[in-house]
Amino acid sequence: MTFIERIKNIRHARFIALLSVIGPGFIAGNAGNDAGGIATYSIVGAREGYGLLWALVLITFALAVIQEMSARMGVVTGKGFGDLVREEFGVKVTFAVMALFVFANLTVTIAEFAGIAASMELFGLNKYISVPVSAFVVWLVVVKGNFRQVERFLIAISLVYLTYVFSGFMANPPWPDVARQIVTPHIRLDRDYFLLFITMVGTTITPYMQFYLQSAVVDKGVRIDEYRFAKFDVYAGSFMTVFIAFFIILATGTILHPAGVVVDSAEDAARALEPLAGNFASHLFALGLLNASFLAAFVLPLATAYGLSEAFGWESGINKTFRDAPQFLGFYTAFIVIGAGVILLPGAPLIRIMFLSQTINGILLPIVLIIMLKLVNNAAIMGEYVNSRRMNMITWVTVFILILLTVMLLVTSFIL
Amino acid sequence: MPFFAGEIFVSEVYKKPVLDPTGEEIGKLRDIIVGMGEPFPAVTAIVVTGEHTYVLPWDGINLFNRRVISVTTVAKNLNPSSIASTDILICRDLLDKQIVDINGAKLVRVNDLELSDVKGRLCLVAADIGLRGLLRRLGLEKRGEKLFALFHRNLQHKLIAWHYVQTIEPKLNRLTLTVSRQKVASLHPADLAQIISEVSQKERTAIFGSLDVDTAAEALHELEPQVQADIIDDMSKERASDILERMPPDEAADVLGDLPEKKAQELINLMEKEEAEDVQELLEHEEDSAGGLMTTEYLAFPPDMTVEEAVRELRLEAPNVETIYYLYILDGQEHVLGVISLKNLILASPQTRLEEIMTTPVKTLPLDAERKDVAELISKYNLLAAPVVDENLAMRGIVTVDDVVDFLLPPASRKKRRKL
Repeated sequence: MTFIERIKNIRHARFIALLSVIGPGFIAGNAGNDAGGIATYSIVGAREGYGLLWALVLITFALAVIQEMSARMGVVTGKGFGDLVREEFGVKVTFAVMALFVFANLTVTIAEFAGIAASMELFGLNKYISVPVSAFVVWLVVVKGNFRQVERFLIAISLVYLTYVFSGFMANPPWPDVARQIVTPHIRLDRDYFLLFITMVGTTITPYMQFYLQSAVVDKGVRIDEYRFAKFDVYAGSFMTVFIAFFIILATGTILHPAGVVVDSAEDAARALEPLAGNFASHLFALGLLNASFLAAFVLPLATAYGLSEAFGWESGINKTFRDAPQFLGFYTAFIVIGAGVILLPGAPLIRIMFLSQTINGILLPIVLIIMLKLVNNAAIMGEYVNSRRMNMITWVTVFILILLTVMLLVTSFIL
Repeated sequence: MPFFAGEIFVSEVYKKPVLDPTGEEIGKLRDIIVGMGEPFPAVTAIVVTGEHTYVLPWDGINLFNRRVISVTTVAKNLNPSSIASTDILICRDLLDKQIVDINGAKLVRVNDLELSDVKGRLCLVAADIGLRGLLRRLGLEKRGEKLFALFHRNLQHKLIAWHYVQTIEPKLNRLTLTVSRQKVASLHPADLAQIISEVSQKERTAIFGSLDVDTAAEALHELEPQVQADIIDDMSKERASDILERMPPDEAADVLGDLPEKKAQELINLMEKEEAEDVQELLEHEEDSAGGLMTTEYLAFPPDMTVEEAVRELRLEAPNVETIYYLYILDGQEHVLGVISLKNLILASPQTRLEEIMTTPVKTLPLDAERKDVAELISKYNLLAAPVVDENLAMRGIVTVDDVVDFLLPPASRKKRRKL
C-alpha cells in the first residue's frame, strides 16, 4: 500500500465514522425550521426585504453554541436533559420545567399539523384527508421503525428543505446587494422591526431542539471518542438551519417585498408568490412548508416523550416496543393524536394557540438555558468536559442576550 | 440513643431545622448518611448546614422526627466537618436516581425514601416510587389525598422494599433491583410490618431448618402464602420437597403457586410420585376456583360395600384425608351417587349396604366454580365439605369449609394468619 493510499484509507474510515455519527444535530437544527419558523422568515422577507439578513449570522452563532452544549452533555453523561434536571434539581424544578415543556410542545405540535393542513390545501388536498394520513405516517414510522431507520428517514426529510434554496435562486436576487446586507448590521429603531427581530431569534432557538438533541445523542449511544464528529454534526445542523432560513428570506425578500405584498403566514407567502413568480415557485414554497411541518411533527412528540420519560425514569428509546416502553410510546402517540385532532376540530382557536405557544416557549427558554449552563459547568457531572473559561464567556453572553430578547418578546407581546 | 418515631420519609425531614439542647438552631438538615449494612442500611449520621457544614453522628442525636430534630451537643461545641468520599448520602446519592430492573431496563425514579425502625435502629427500608411520593416532594400529599377521596379512591403508597435493591455503593449512578420488571408490579408491600418482617427472613429460615419435617409442614401451613414461598425458596430442594409432601396437596399447591414456575416444577419433580401428581393437578386450576381450592384426598367407597367393611376401611384411610365426616359413594366412572355422614355410618347396622343409607342427590361443584359460589353452596346447605366434579361429572376432590371460611366471615373477623 502506498503512502497516498493509506492516507486515502484513513480518510475513508473517518468519513464513514463521521457519517455514522451525523444525525441528531442535523435533525434537531432543521426541526427548528418548523411551520412557525417558515412563517416568520417569510414574513421577515416580505416586510423587511434583506434588512434582517445580518441577524442570521448572530443566530447561527448562538444556535451552534447552545446546541453544542446539549450534545456535549448527552455524550459525556449518557443522560438526557430531563434526566439531569431531575437528578440535579429535584422534583419541584422538574415539575415546573416539564409542565411548561409539555404544554409548549403540545401547542407547537398543533401548529405543525396546521402547517401540514395549510400546505396540502395549497395542493388542493382536504385537511380531513391530509392530517389523519400524515399523523398516521408519523406515528407508524417511529413505532415500527428502529432508531437507525427513523434517523435516516428524518435526515432524508431534512434534505427536502433544499427546495427553499432552489426558490431563493429562482427569485434571482441582486447578489452584491444581498452580500452587503449580510455584513452590515443596521438597526432601525421602530417597534415592528424590533419585534420581527426578536420573533426570528425566538423561533430559531427553541427548547425542544435542545431536549431532542441531547436525548437523541443518548438514544443513539454516541461515545466520547466520537464527540468531534458529533460536534461537526451540531455545527453543520446549525449552519444548515440558518442557511435555509436565509433562502426563505431571500425568496420573499426579492419577490414579495418590492411588490409591497404583506403576508401573515407561510401559506400566504406561497399563495402570493404564484402571480409574481409563477406556479412552480409557489408549489416549491408550499412543498417546503409541508416538509418542515412534517419533520417537526416527528421531532416535537419525540422530544416530549423523551423528556417526560427521562424526568420520571421510564424506559425510552425509538428501538423499544410498546411493551418495553409503554409511557414513552404512549406519550408519543397521545401527542400526535391531540396535535392532529385539534386541527380537525371545526373552529379551533389556532391563532390563540400559536400565540400561547410562543409565550410559553419564551418563558421556558431562559429557564432551560440557565439550567443548562449550571449543568454543563458542574464538574461532578461533566468531569473534564465542563465549559472552558472562554466558552463560558461566550455562552453567558449569548444566553444573556437570548434571555433579554425573549423577555422583551414576552413583554411586548403582552403590551401590544 | 436517639429517639425516633415509626416511619419517616426523607422529604419530610429534608431542610428541617436541627436544634441543639438549648433550642438554638444549628442549621438545616441537608442529608442523611447511611452505612452499607444488609439488608437495610442503617442511618449513621446526618449532615447539617448552617454557617458551617456539620456531620453529626447518629448517637449524638436526641430527637429525630417529622417535627423536631435535635442533638445532644451544644452548638458552639460543634466542629465543622466534611463528608468522606466513601459516605453514602441519601439525598445526594439516592433521591431522584434512576431505578433499573435486574436486566437494566429503566422502571422509574426514586421519588422518596422511607426510613423506619428495624430492631431499634433507624434504617432505610424502602424506595417510594409512587405518585404519592411525588406529591409529598411537591408538598401536596394532603391535598392529593383529599382529591383522591373525592373520587372515593385511596392515594396508595407504592414502595419497593430495600430488600429488593442490590447492594449500594458510594458514587452510584442508578439503583439496580434484584428482580425483573414483570415482578416489580407485585412487589408493593402495602404495610410496613411486612417490609420489616423481611428482616428476620434469614432467622426464620434458620428456625425452619431446625424443625423436623412434619412440624415444619404444619408450621408452614399457618403462615401467609408469600412468606411460605420465601421460606421454601430458601431451603435446600430436597428438604423443601419433603416438607411439601407432608402438607395437604391444596396447601402445597398454594405454596408452589407463589414460587417461580421453574423452581416449583423442580420441587414437584423431587416429590413422591403420588403426591406430585395431586399437586400438579391442583396447580393447573385457578387458585381461587373450586379446582384450585380443593384437596384430592377424600373418602370414597363403592355403593355395594357394607357399613362394617366401610368402617374398617375408614380406620385405615382416616389419617391421610383432610375430613372424615363425609363418605362419598362413587360408581365405576367415579360419578357421585351419594354421600353418607360419619354419624349416619356409625348409627347404621353393620350389614347394611352403603347405597341403602346414602343421601341423594349430592350437590356438586364444577372445577371452575368461583370461591364465592363455593362459599355460597357450603353455607346454604350447611356442609362441612362439597365434592368437585369435572366436565364428565367424575369426582376430582373436595373443598372443605375451612378453605372458604375466610370468605364467609365479615372482613374484620377473618382469621389473621400468624406471622412467625
